[in-house]
Amino acid sequence: MIEQIRAKARELLESGAVDCAIGYERASDGITARPFFAYRPEEVERFIFDETCVHNLAPYLMDRRTKVSALVAKPCDARAINLLLQEKQLERERVFIIGVVCSGVVETGWNRAGEAPAPRCATCPQHTPPVYDFLVGDPVAEEAPPAVTSPEVAELEAMGVEERRSFWEEHFDRCLRCYACRQVCPGCYCKECFVDRLDPLWVGIRIAPVENHMWNTIRAFHLAGRCIECGECERVCPVNIPLMRLNSKLNQETAELFDFQPGLSAEAQPPLATFRPDDDL
Amino acid sequence: MVASPVNSSTDSDLRIVGFLCNWCSYAGADMAGTSRESYPANIRLIRVPCSGRVDPMLIVKCFEMGADGVLVAGCHPGDCHYGEGNFHTRRRLALLRPFLDFLGIEQERLRLEWVSATEGKLFSRVVADFEQELKKLAPRGVAA
Repeated sequence: MIEQIRAKARELLESGAVDCAIGYERASDGITARPFFAYRPEEVERFIFDETCVHNLAPYLMDRRTKVSALVAKPCDARAINLLLQEKQLERERVFIIGVVCSGVVETGWNRAGEAPAPRCATCPQHTPPVYDFLVGDPVAEEAPPAVTSPEVAELEAMGVEERRSFWEEHFDRCLRCYACRQVCPGCYCKECFVDRLDPLWVGIRIAPVENHMWNTIRAFHLAGRCIECGECERVCPVNIPLMRLNSKLNQETAELFDFQPGLSAEAQPPLATFRPDDDL
Repeated sequence: MVASPVNSSTDSDLRIVGFLCNWCSYAGADMAGTSRESYPANIRLIRVPCSGRVDPMLIVKCFEMGADGVLVAGCHPGDCHYGEGNFHTRRRLALLRPFLDFLGIEQERLRLEWVSATEGKLFSRVVADFEQELKKLAPRGVAA
């Protein structure tokens, strides 16, 4: 698998088809993986791929819009590329997708890689990327589309509204508003985020629960019908807010109301960008 | 609360924000006034060019600032002055309501209604009805 990635990246770099190949290399702790950008053919030997390659590398494409890049993409990363293509943030010719058949990544932390699958991977039925130019590994037959319901969401839905409110208050109280969730998200590519605006001041700079609440509510809602559920926001959250529950809830509603799942195709019309006069909502 | 001539039924301290579209619902509220229809005075009306202008952020901000309820009213589907603004709003709010509920803000607190310029009576009924509904819910209290 790794050899295939290296060979393809070498070929692309040598021929000049791409300017840079983005993938993973072993991090300095010797255990986990980190993103790696290969600009020269001889650098491709540093590429690795295994279950510690947790990062979604698609956001890096947004900094390289004018150049051609090759990107190592797991199924969820490929869904992110579909999202960017569909929202006209990226030109298809400018990315060469080295898709990898993925059986899930593991939970990693500083200097350690666990045995347990990452939360998103535990239930993910998608092993072959929905879009790729070159596939590494054998595609898995009879792919089910990603599940629209999640047990974590169902658990919250079963609670009373008061109970849910205190659940989120407890979590949002810890929010540092470091915006790591935004930085890592392939869907959060706005040049100016609403939270950085001073006029109008949507989110105040004071340390107060309502400001945290505002940020977390709008962050999630801006991804309504767009979140490709790679789980990166939750992975990078330093205070472990279960952010994916918000995103999954919205995806669940989107699937129920509009029969739509984001990232499966670059052509599908996103539900909030369109309407039907006879919508029964 | 300051006593108000249109305040016939209100004895609550509920804070309701109403976003009314300029072309239909705001004129509808005006019609309620000129036809001497009364409606609860604890609704604060904000005129917007179109119900499509009502960004979900505005609604969330209202709730964060302690509103008990938010009413969004616009032209009937098909009657939008700009053709399609209210269709977009309809979709957005259909997603926002269950999402707010998921966060612990009852979805009854957010309402979308269609009120035309001639429907003064309907407007006053909508607001009165909304207020009654909100009274059944626990007050949200003042925002921190």
